[in-house]
Amino acid sequence: MSPISPIDILNVLLPILYAGTVLVYGRAFFSDVPWAKRIKTRFFLGTVTLHFVYLVLRTIEFRHPPVTSIFELLTVVAFSIAVAYLFIEFRTKAKGTGYFIANIAFLFQLVSSLFIRDLIEVPEVLRSNLFGLHISSAMLGYAAITISAVFGFLYLMLYHEIKSSRFGIVYQKLPNLETLERMGFTAFKMGFLLLGIAIVVGFVWLPSSGLDFSYLDPKLVGTVLIWLMYGIGILAKRRGGWKGRRVMMLSVWGFGITVVSMMVINLFLSGFHKFD
Amino acid sequence: MNLVCIGISHHTAPLEMRERLWFSEQEIKDALSRFRREGIGEAVLFSTCNRTELYVYDSRPDLRVKTLQDLLLSQKGTTARVSPDLLFTYFASGAADHLFRVASGIDSMIVGDVQILSQIKEGFQLSQENNASGFFMNKLFQAAFHVGKRARTETAISEGAVSVSYAAVELAERIFENLGKKSALVIGAGETAQLTAKHLKSHGIGRLLITNRTSERAEILAREVGGSTIPFDDFCNHLTDVDIIITSVLSDTFVLSVDDIRGIVKRRKASTLFVIDIGVPRNIDPASKEIEGIFLYDIDALQGMIDENLQKRQSEIPKIEAIVGHQVSELSQWYTSLHVTPTIAALREHFETVRGEEVAKNINRFTPHERELVEILTKRILNKILHRPTINLKNGQSGASSESLLKISVLRDLFGLGSDRRDEGIDD
Repeated sequence: MSPISPIDILNVLLPILYAGTVLVYGRAFFSDVPWAKRIKTRFFLGTVTLHFVYLVLRTIEFRHPPVTSIFELLTVVAFSIAVAYLFIEFRTKAKGTGYFIANIAFLFQLVSSLFIRDLIEVPEVLRSNLFGLHISSAMLGYAAITISAVFGFLYLMLYHEIKSSRFGIVYQKLPNLETLERMGFTAFKMGFLLLGIAIVVGFVWLPSSGLDFSYLDPKLVGTVLIWLMYGIGILAKRRGGWKGRRVMMLSVWGFGITVVSMMVINLFLSGFHKFD
Repeated sequence: MNLVCIGISHHTAPLEMRERLWFSEQEIKDALSRFRREGIGEAVLFSTCNRTELYVYDSRPDLRVKTLQDLLLSQKGTTARVSPDLLFTYFASGAADHLFRVASGIDSMIVGDVQILSQIKEGFQLSQENNASGFFMNKLFQAAFHVGKRARTETAISEGAVSVSYAAVELAERIFENLGKKSALVIGAGETAQLTAKHLKSHGIGRLLITNRTSERAEILAREVGGSTIPFDDFCNHLTDVDIIITSVLSDTFVLSVDDIRGIVKRRKASTLFVIDIGVPRNIDPASKEIEGIFLYDIDALQGMIDENLQKRQSEIPKIEAIVGHQVSELSQWYTSLHVTPTIAALREHFETVRGEEVAKNINRFTPHERELVEILTKRILNKILHRPTINLKNGQSGASSESLLKISVLRDLFGLGSDRRDEGIDD
């Protein structure tokens, strides 16, 4: 019987830690528990640090970045969401939304931990560092878009509560509308920037990758269109004076369109963006 | 403990009676001086619009409540005009319990009122400055402040606005991130509009414009809150420049129609507009509520919010009562401990005196070597005899205060130990 490796331990531990993060943020959000309020960010930070160690260990052990299967990608997405959220929390100092984000990270990590396999034999193309940069910036970008959509959704919920004079838990606990808008738009911009990096790195790397590729690959075109849509959103806010609910609607709709288009591309269209 | 609290509050007397017993700062100082002259031990007196309360700690067992009532009433010259029946009285831990309830805000007319704690602090400070309080009042009021602080930080007793003016500002803070970067226009200078303007200013609103049909009233309010005025006929030209509009004017027709509001929102390019209509009849067409980007609240919507907040505050009362109960128990234990240590010391001293005298009487019967042994032996016997009572007394500090005090009383009576710490002003 082979001994249990640190990777196996972390694979089991990470969903538990994310569940713990959800619990701590939940206790702080719903019950105002002082100890939970005190430790929640540190707990999340600790979880993310261990997650980083896990990803590094996997990369070293299996000699490729953990992006070669859907379940490896899911753990990277969970990590990216957590990192992007903590960055936004640090930037905006608003800590009232972590519960909702931690839930998403927990869900992704749980599915990943349940089904992830140790793949040593993977196509050589997936061992490239540029590919690693391409995929990690793309994952962080999609994570930021997801977070932006969550903030957008929370904004719309709070907007609706205030508008209809219902003062429930959302009204009491969430940051104010403008803060939510700022957090959402910060994530929105992060998503645009990171997807931009992913696209540029992808374009630079493709010719040297040895792949039989086309610039008209559905996923590539889809990603560029999504990126452009977010770019137009930023322009609309900066130049067109879009504010408040309209921007947050864009955030939610942008995420919806992204998810649907990626599902259509992955399920119904073929291209070189498949490596398994 | 010889603590007495007498007072009048909205629970026991109508406003006209409470007014008669309201003490100004100077009157409190005068009263404290008089209490000292009359030989009252420690005293704290505070007075608010809803209550006047006097706390007295005195070692004299013969001090009567009637004396204190007469002192309080005569000090205001209201002996004949305020019946003593309207005054409430609490004793010992009941008085501490009452003070803690008041400090926590659960005894206030509006549950969770945050002002009461600072008013109690002012009263205690006056007592300190006038040398009317000592070690006991210091302990009692520090405990009260602790309860007040815990109530506000550990419960939601003072959360949520409970006045129309404050509800308006609270809503503004749920919409805007930084009121310092926002501007508000107050149309009208009635009481609620005034209060809202003051609250907005105290919450750091960036720019405050005030307009009123009677410009003098607008100017008075503007001076009071540090805002600026605009002519009433011209206010429509400023509507696109402000983020918050508060209207409170008497008008048979809408001051702003749906089209007016739609036009404002359009010109503001989707910037959020928060409108509080506290006019009766309403100043703004309620249909404006449906326009995107505008939050419109009328007096009924605000009242609904207030009612909900009051209900939430009520539901926090059991948590506060637990805090109060815990603090009363701690205070009682502290008070009991003040008696335990001197009693143990007196008991030991008594037995040591008996032992010393008996040894001295008989010491010549022993050889020098035996004398040393006798000293050791008698001391050891003494220690063994006193060990159990000492432990029991010390353990009793954490139990019921009255039980411990009874044990102390019996011990003192049995061994003729005399009263403890009279010189420090403590009495059973």
